[in-house]
Amino acid sequence: MAESNQTDAEIMLKVAGYDSKALEQLYDRYSPILYTLIKKIVDDSETAEEILSDVFVIVWRQIDQFDFKVNNVYTWLVTLTRNKAMDVMNRKAGKLLPDYDDHYEKELILPKLSPEIQALELKDVMDKKDNLNKALSSLTDAQKYVLELSYYGGMDLTEIANKMNIPSVTVKSKLQVAFGNLMQKVSEAK
Amino acid sequence: MDKKKIVDLIKLEVLRCLSEKDNESLQSLKVEEIEFPWKELGDYQNLIALLPLSLELDHPSNELKNKTAMKLYDIRDQIKAKIDARKAQELPEVPAAELSLSVESVEVIEPAEQIEVEEKVLVEVEEGVQFISDEPLAAKEQSFGFVSDFKGKDESETLSHHTNDEISAKQPPKPVTEKEMIEKVVKDFIKTHMEREHESLRSNINKNKILSIVLFVISLLLIVALFIIK
Repeated sequence: MAESNQTDAEIMLKVAGYDSKALEQLYDRYSPILYTLIKKIVDDSETAEEILSDVFVIVWRQIDQFDFKVNNVYTWLVTLTRNKAMDVMNRKAGKLLPDYDDHYEKELILPKLSPEIQALELKDVMDKKDNLNKALSSLTDAQKYVLELSYYGGMDLTEIANKMNIPSVTVKSKLQVAFGNLMQKVSEAK
Repeated sequence: MDKKKIVDLIKLEVLRCLSEKDNESLQSLKVEEIEFPWKELGDYQNLIALLPLSLELDHPSNELKNKTAMKLYDIRDQIKAKIDARKAQELPEVPAAELSLSVESVEVIEPAEQIEVEEKVLVEVEEGVQFISDEPLAAKEQSFGFVSDFKGKDESETLSHHTNDEISAKQPPKPVTEKEMIEKVVKDFIKTHMEREHESLRSNINKNKILSIVLFVISLLLIVALFIIK
């Protein structure tokens, strides 16, 4: 399908009217970034593709849960995708989790974005790529490592602490400092 | 709790790293704290979502689009139920006293015969759906279009013209009616799968017409011949 000039929010509005062509546009636009994220988390193409298609099924089924007041398509989709991929990985790893049903999906897979979040679109986000890379490169290796274990590895404080052989309190503080520094550097680069 | 401490909890929340105890206190702060830093929460949610940008972009296989389309097609009943529920919500509430009256009036408008016809159409749609889903997907164009083309072209265009206004109003569009949806699916089904049969039927009818005319002319000739012989 040809690239359209519509904004993500415009496409999302059409998806909310169950326009399957709009969903296809959303897929064409977002599948590379979402697939990249999932693949980083699961490290397996087949599972990554399975999760990606499930994400679009969730979007189609739960579109009425998207907050059109906030209208943040990018963060909603990325967060949803990460949550779904983490859930699949945790279940595969045998973690004890509640049954996957509609209620679970609404509570733990669908993002709960802040009502005061700034709206982001993929096109605008792509322009921030260099700034983000610069900000990331300013972090120490340890800070980058804890962020990575947490975001892509889905590890909690104790798991990271065990892996790094340091106390949980130290992990907590490292994460908070790393994330704070990242925010500061990205903001400075604007 | 001071703002810095709340923001520290927010950082862990967006990473999903909060302990159960901290999570409980943060959730209660969201409800109780009048000056909860919602903007900071939003900023950190956006920041964490930027992280995948640092990865080298990869692409899923082309076949995945078809697989996704199939999955979407399989949940068409759920979507239909959602559309129905949304429609029901949009209907104005009818006072109890008027309820029996309005039911009667609906019965008058919709005779049993019409209901039967609608049921038949639904059955045909279901049969069509089965047939479509049995077809090999590889032969089809990679598209979500066949999943549930609930919207006609005109409606889509109108919607796109009004999109900006609607976004400013921040309201999702109303779904198409069930009747329109059924008509569209039936038309698509007939167009895709019945055209050849229609053509062969049409040519058979034409042949039969010619044959009957010829037979009619022969019979006429025989009658005339018999009359002359007599």
